[in-house]
Amino acid sequence: MVTKYDTVIGLEIHVALQTESKFICGCSTEFGAPPNSHCCPICLGLPGALPVLNEKAVEYAIKTGMALNCEINRFSKFDRKNYFYPDMPTAYQITQDAFPICSKGYLEYYYEDKLIKTSLNRIHLECEAGKLIHSGDSIIDSDFSLVDYNRAGIALIEIVTEPDMSAPKQARTFLEQLRLLLNYIGVSDTKMEEGSLRCDANISLKPRGSTVLGPKVELKNLNSFRSLERGLEYEEQRQTEVLEQGGEIRQETRTWNERTGKTASMRSKGDAPDYRFFPEPDLPPLNIDESRVEAISLSIPELPLERLHRLESEYGLSRYESTFLTNYPEFGGLFFELIGKKLQSGAVVNFLMGDYARLAREKGHLTASRIGELLEILKEGLINNNQGKDVLEELYKSEQSPREIVKEKGWEMVSDASELEGVIARILSENPELVSRYENGEDKLFGFFVGQVMRATRGKGDPEVVNSLLRKELGQ
Amino acid sequence: MKKLAQLLESKQVSSEEVAQKYLNRIKEKDSEINAFITVDEDGVLQQARAADQRRAQGSPLSKWDGIPIAIKDNISTQGLLTSCASKFLSNYKPVFDATVVSKLKQAGLPIIGKTNLDEFAMGSSTEYSTYGATCNPHDIERVSGGSSGGSAAAVAAEMIPWALGTDTGGSIRQPASFCGVVGLKPTYGRVSRFGVVALAPSLDHVGPLAKSVEDVAILFSLLAGSDPGDSTSAQIGPFAVPSWDGSVVKGLKIGVPEEFFSTGLNSEVEQAVRNSLKMLEEQGATLIPISLASNAYAIDTYLTIVTAEASSSLARFDGIRYGERVDAEDTNTMYAKSRAAGFGTEVKRRIMLGTYVLSASQYEAYYEQAQKVRTIIKQEVSEALKQVDVIITPTTPTPAFKIGEKRDPLELYLSDLYTAIANLSGVPALSLPCGTTSAGLPMGVQVMGDYFSEELILQVGSLIEQGVGGGVSGD
Amino acid sequence: MSGLISRDEVIRIADLARLDLSDTEVEQYQKDLNNLLSSGKKLQNVDVNDTKKTSHAVSMVHELRKDEVEASLPQEVVLSAGSKVMDGFFQVPRIVEEQE
Ligand SMILES: [Mg+2]
Ligand SMILES: [Zn+2]
Repeated sequence: MVTKYDTVIGLEIHVALQTESKFICGCSTEFGAPPNSHCCPICLGLPGALPVLNEKAVEYAIKTGMALNCEINRFSKFDRKNYFYPDMPTAYQITQDAFPICSKGYLEYYYEDKLIKTSLNRIHLECEAGKLIHSGDSIIDSDFSLVDYNRAGIALIEIVTEPDMSAPKQARTFLEQLRLLLNYIGVSDTKMEEGSLRCDANISLKPRGSTVLGPKVELKNLNSFRSLERGLEYEEQRQTEVLEQGGEIRQETRTWNERTGKTASMRSKGDAPDYRFFPEPDLPPLNIDESRVEAISLSIPELPLERLHRLESEYGLSRYESTFLTNYPEFGGLFFELIGKKLQSGAVVNFLMGDYARLAREKGHLTASRIGELLEILKEGLINNNQGKDVLEELYKSEQSPREIVKEKGWEMVSDASELEGVIARILSENPELVSRYENGEDKLFGFFVGQVMRATRGKGDPEVVNSLLRKELGQ
Repeated sequence: MKKLAQLLESKQVSSEEVAQKYLNRIKEKDSEINAFITVDEDGVLQQARAADQRRAQGSPLSKWDGIPIAIKDNISTQGLLTSCASKFLSNYKPVFDATVVSKLKQAGLPIIGKTNLDEFAMGSSTEYSTYGATCNPHDIERVSGGSSGGSAAAVAAEMIPWALGTDTGGSIRQPASFCGVVGLKPTYGRVSRFGVVALAPSLDHVGPLAKSVEDVAILFSLLAGSDPGDSTSAQIGPFAVPSWDGSVVKGLKIGVPEEFFSTGLNSEVEQAVRNSLKMLEEQGATLIPISLASNAYAIDTYLTIVTAEASSSLARFDGIRYGERVDAEDTNTMYAKSRAAGFGTEVKRRIMLGTYVLSASQYEAYYEQAQKVRTIIKQEVSEALKQVDVIITPTTPTPAFKIGEKRDPLELYLSDLYTAIANLSGVPALSLPCGTTSAGLPMGVQVMGDYFSEELILQVGSLIEQGVGGGVSGD
Repeated sequence: MSGLISRDEVIRIADLARLDLSDTEVEQYQKDLNNLLSSGKKLQNVDVNDTKKTSHAVSMVHELRKDEVEASLPQEVVLSAGSKVMDGFFQVPRIVEEQE
């Protein structure tokens, strides 16, 4: 008998908050500065220096908690997590162990066309460590490492989910949607490549139908959405094989190796570090008053799921279109600006998702006013869709407005009937054979005549006028 | 100090002369006492001359502009060695000033140097210093007390009129008592800890030592105040030096905790403290017997918390950014070797104990339990202070002991038996001399009061001071 | 010797605290720790029932800082006390374990 297994996944996500200054001191959080140039006695852990916490970081943590339906704890505390590591100047991390700032909560999102919820356990504030650069390819085969404390002391939030997800792909979707939400509320730039969004995963298997979780494996070094999904897939597969061969899963921490596509054991449960948590004596407990909570709640913008549903219900867009505009907020932003210019939602979304999407990704976004004018002249019939594409290309090359471009290039559509009648008469007289075949029922030749007219007018013929004149001439 | 300030104001003496006088005194006495780790001769003279210039221009920074001071060597002074009496920091010159040092500089006080202490303030005798023990000026075979032994001895030997100390379990009051000077541990949070090298942040305090209660009050007025750089500093206004009219004694309710007068208390100390109490009673105070039974747990509670917090506070000494470094193949070995080489025996002992009580399997039994017992102690002190205005006790069970006499760590920790309670509960406590033993050793009396009642305990201290010696002047 | 803490435990604690102790020190601290802990054990007899924990002596308002950038130290000052520096970084020997 083959046992089927259910996968159980939970995530721990570290998010660097986008404050101007660090969490514990006034040093700048700017990325990419020369090493050890954004440091002071506090973030260097010099003897006697004391942390003073950044108000904005606390507000951002609360804001995130609210956007994720958490309970905002009016009372929370800070603890020290003690461990030696070269990137941690005080040899302890200021974090919140026993009393986090936010508890519970959930994120609701679409996964495989179903609206689902992933529950959160908590969100807590903590302090970022410095950055290590290794002399070799990896930490293990380096003779020495270099330490830069510019990052040390920046505010982090750690978002901990419940073991609530059942597939690697779901975990990835969750993380993508969480990231989107964090972008919407503006608390973090969430750049995985710069480390401002990091994710560890816990994964365990249990026999299908069982309620008892198997020993969990903690997965580290998941540096991209792709790594998260691949690492979990590998681990799901590995654990299944071990179990099917009658083996046992060890509770351990494993690290994902992007190059080999495998996970490797880092340490087992027995070697789990003893962090010796205790209340941070340098920081009093944090009491959050009602007025602060209220003020923060007013600063929360429309969230992704709300936007998605509004695009569907208010603008009649499809799930696909709404998802596109929600997931790419710059496109969504343009959409709402353009809609304000009395343009049809269908025309706008088609435009944004069409050639524009390709160009915008390559070359960046155009302003809503230039796009709006382009859509306007298309609607007016000044140019046709083909010319619309040319104008769009031109907009990336010149500073001119769409109308100016059309005028300068002489791309106005020809919709003058007498001019087009002449062209049509000439084309029909040049092709008597085809005219008679058409008259004998070969309907598809109508398109050929349209094409000939358009070619003769170099694409400027107004398709509607051309169609109706042709029909008249061909005796319909 | 008022007299000295007047002399400076009337230009009868210059700051430079004052500084020179103390430098000479240090040269004369300190080879015997060993109170100083660093004497900044050039620095203090330069600062004194600047003070003289300010006075010449009629713009002194404060009334005390130009009166020199000594700083305990665990308080950061920019550019000036701050060793914490540890080999680990024997070359460490901070790039910033502690808030209290900035405040003193803003008041124009030239810094004469840095005083000796038990390494990282861990001790009660200033014997655990990499720079050797500080001797008691009243008997150089005896300890100065600790950990602010250097500051207390320097003041007692008149090598400096006043000094800063730190107090985590009695480290200002116990040496003050041993050396026959006055020392104040303020309410927790009333003086900024920013820049003071942490021993146990929830118990650490900074405070003044001087020859008289008034001088302690003056120095305290320069230190007190909330500091945005210290999140645990209290939001309370400045402290103003009171007038000493003695009126507080009428109707003053003095709590006398029986547990502080029981076995283990030296009889001469007991007699001296009882004399002070009697004198206050005669002037109109009421003595009320009270009980602080939980003090029986104070030392163990204190030790558990202090070692736990210290094990964490001292973890930053890893040899990477500053301080001692012994290189090794890998980082962990480098840490372990650097720390083993840089820290002395007592520091290692406390780090070991603190690491143990915080470790996952022991946390609940020791640290968490200690925090709960701390609550009981704190509540008992608060309750007592609802019934009485001040609590008066001996500062220490005995006068200064001999150097090398106490070898057992626990025995040494017991010299904080009467003082740790004020750190655990956070209330202010003052120690001042209340007489000398037949052998000529100073003895101290401790006055504790409610949170932020520094003015009252200083007033009461002043009454005792006048009764004992008719007023002592540091000038 | 018998006691609360074994020699192995002392070695584990020393390792956790990153202290390279000699055999004599291990022996000494084993003795000291056992003495101190047997004293500390007295606390376990105190009836604490539902007593709350005190982590701060005085209850205080947590004043937060405005999110404003202040001057950092110049790089050369930051590095000045480091015993090994390289290209603007602090240098450390091989790291034998990974950390989150
Ligand atoms: Mg964390
Ligand atoms: Zn900083």
